[in-house]
Amino acid sequence: MKTSLTKSLWTAACFLIAGCSSDLVAERDDNRATPLSFGPEIHIGDAELNPSTPFLRYAPDARLFAIWTEDEPSQPPQTRPAPSHNHKMSDRDPSPMRTAMLASSADGGKTWSKRKRVNRDIEAVQGEENGPKVAFAANNRAYVVWSIPGEKGDKTRANVRFAMDDGNGGFSPARTLNEVKDAARFPIIEVAPDGNPLIAWIDRRIDNPKPRQLYLVRLDPSGETRTKNYQTGEGLCECCKLGIAFADGGKTVYMVDREVDGNKIRNHVLRKSTDGATSFGPPVEISNDGWQVPSCPHSGPSIGRDSNGRLHVSWFTLGRSEPEAGIYYSVSHDDGKSFAARQLVHANTAPETLYTNLIVGEDDTIYVAWSNLDGNGKAQIFMRTLAPDGKSWSPIQQISRAKGNASRPVLALLKKQLHVAWTETDGEASRAVLRSATVNR
Amino acid sequence: MKTVSSRMDRLPLFLSFSWLALFCIVDIDLNPSVCQAQHVHPAGPSVAPSVGAPAVPFELKTLEGKPANLETFRGKPLVLNFFASWCDPCRDEMPLINELASKAAIQGFSVLGVAVEDGRAAVTEFAREIKLVFPIALDLNSTVKRAYRIFGPPATFFIDGQGIIRDVALGPITAERLREAMKKVGTTK
Repeated sequence: MKTSLTKSLWTAACFLIAGCSSDLVAERDDNRATPLSFGPEIHIGDAELNPSTPFLRYAPDARLFAIWTEDEPSQPPQTRPAPSHNHKMSDRDPSPMRTAMLASSADGGKTWSKRKRVNRDIEAVQGEENGPKVAFAANNRAYVVWSIPGEKGDKTRANVRFAMDDGNGGFSPARTLNEVKDAARFPIIEVAPDGNPLIAWIDRRIDNPKPRQLYLVRLDPSGETRTKNYQTGEGLCECCKLGIAFADGGKTVYMVDREVDGNKIRNHVLRKSTDGATSFGPPVEISNDGWQVPSCPHSGPSIGRDSNGRLHVSWFTLGRSEPEAGIYYSVSHDDGKSFAARQLVHANTAPETLYTNLIVGEDDTIYVAWSNLDGNGKAQIFMRTLAPDGKSWSPIQQISRAKGNASRPVLALLKKQLHVAWTETDGEASRAVLRSATVNR
Repeated sequence: MKTVSSRMDRLPLFLSFSWLALFCIVDIDLNPSVCQAQHVHPAGPSVAPSVGAPAVPFELKTLEGKPANLETFRGKPLVLNFFASWCDPCRDEMPLINELASKAAIQGFSVLGVAVEDGRAAVTEFAREIKLVFPIALDLNSTVKRAYRIFGPPATFFIDGQGIIRDVALGPITAERLREAMKKVGTTK
């Protein structure tokens, strides 16, 4: 018996050594993605005004910009007369008005310029999955899009607003881009390599036979409209953000979204244009997740393209049953014709819709950020990287230490400077948080 | 004796595989491409609150700042509707829920809306716009949403007077489905 136990201990020790040594070998492997070393938390915006929903983007002059929403400072709590129905409101209700604010950092996010108001009018700038976005022309001119509720206050039948740098330190008066009013939300903006801003959104102008279309409009560099609104897809998920990437000097455009079929199955798809977003080919399924849900998941996919033309996508799905739920990743090696089998990046640690964002480094390292619950049941931000070999994942890193919940991470990357920003909420208060890391590659 | 002996002989093999399994568990946490089946659920109930199970207790506050908990509604049926102001299907079903709520006092049941992933200002505006006639509780920290395992609103739980869930409707509810569910909690629409 003693011999047997000795044998078993030796065998176990051998496995232990083998396990450790394989880790050591992996550490020496140049392809092994290593954890990132993040700096301290930086809080964006006026803490008194509940900043939330930050979005990050580098301008061509290497300044890092953040855009987010804050409570409208000039709007005191509302003092409306008691409504006629019997749902009693307090005498002084909080105002739903929110402002889009923009600031820049010339030192990699350590210090920030004075924040600048984007929307001149008082508006209920929407946040959460639907927050404002900024993009830049080659001359660093900023273009901003956001969404406001429809005329009756309906957030689901909303309007896409646009404003741009007026050249005098402020922003032009905002205008609505959707030609059919009270029908558009979840706008995204990118400046194509030809210098023309491209804006896409989810539109509800037609409810039948397939509700919720993908609509686009192109502007010229001066912000003038170059095209009418045009439809390029249909059957989109009602409340999930879109993703976009360019190639070939803007001739090729890739868009990702969550699509809903007649059975309410929600799979993510890629739509590709080879004529500068004038027309798109049929949607290509990224993964047959089979998530059948009649409700609003409110969490869209993210796409990036690497220097070898590979397309990388991350998304959240619950899959065919709850134990499948989590953040997933896939890659296309054939320019979007097909996608590799999905890889689980992080399983759901609790019943929770998770939010993800992905960005591609200059060396083709993939950086994925997402929210998930920690051991205390609080939503936090997590990250991991995928090395350029497409195989070696770094360990999962928790980036946030939110007292309440952290969600909707966004990423920006320029050379070796990586930034992650997210929203933290605790009760009725919110804040926008940023952390930065220097990547080794 | 032979049996015991052969078990002892297998012990080294068993321990070796135990170590191997341990390494696999550690590794899959680090490498999703190795194994894609790691799922842990440390937070929230292990199973979804389902029909026949007791409703999960909660402590929230209404838009007016009044306490809203399960005990408040004990003794008569409760329709617990999870929604958000940004959610299309929630808005689609809300007139039906509101109509149901308008009959609640006469027919002896309660309706409570629970706003998830939403803020007080937006929900107040929503309630005002749609002229909601039932109390709305704010689940600001998502604790109740997680306890009821809501992956996306809307979702409606029909709870009887003893606090037992009698029906669950995920997604926007129809008039027919609503009538059916109300019968199950001992009332008719």
